[in-house]
Amino acid sequence: MQPYLDRVLSDEQMREAQEHLEGCPPCEKRYRFEVTLRRYVRVAVEEHISPELQEKLAGLRSAD
Amino acid sequence: MSESVPTAAETRRLAEEARDRVRFEEEALDLSDQVYRVARRLANSREEAEDLMQDTYARAFRSWQQYQPGTNLRAWLLRILTNLNIDRGRRVQRTPEQTPLEEGDYYLYNRLESTMSDENPDEDRVIERLSQNAVVEALAEVPHDFRDVLVLVDIGEFSYAEAAQILDIPVGTVMSRLHRGRRILKQQLAERAAA
Repeated sequence: MQPYLDRVLSDEQMREAQEHLEGCPPCEKRYRFEVTLRRYVRVAVEEHISPELQEKLAGLRSAD
Repeated sequence: MSESVPTAAETRRLAEEARDRVRFEEEALDLSDQVYRVARRLANSREEAEDLMQDTYARAFRSWQQYQPGTNLRAWLLRILTNLNIDRGRRVQRTPEQTPLEEGDYYLYNRLESTMSDENPDEDRVIERLSQNAVVEALAEVPHDFRDVLVLVDIGEFSYAEAAQILDIPVGTVMSRLHRGRRILKQQLAERAAA
């Protein structure tokens, strides 16, 4: 499941996994859960850089 | 010492180098929000993440000529950052208990679903049972070696190969740590799901 989710299988393996999912509701459900969870985690932990830090970083450039 | 007047070729070379350098700096700064997003989750606190960012950019601007144009600059910056993070000796850490495997990957789902009244709810609604805070805390509980890989792949959206390069570990190690890290994360999420 993990390699399929990460899209690191060969084309043929991807196709096989996809065919399996289409005919297997428990796996399909698990797949949807995994995809949704990953997106949810990614969004939930998102924090942006502050303008102050951005300014400090810009100040580290070569002075010329 | 001879006070030679620079040749036209030399002047041109210096001008080109200055231009390349400015371009590098601009590109690196344009990526700062994306780099920070990953750095924040690799570090234990906001202060630590901000220090790491400054050290990383200071080093990157000093050694900009080591960057090969056309390669992934975000990965290059994060390689510096993860090295600095490791150098800080952040790692005094316990090895986590092995997650119980009886319920495998369904554990979290079952736990979340059990807190809901309707039968067979859809995935979005099940996952929304987790608060944003719970997710942040759960991720912070994943030990560093596993979290580094998890954050790079699942948050930073790097490939296995890129994560391997950034952390200087074999791809097989990336895969095993990722698998374990995701499992630990789910365990941590499950613990916070019922609360």
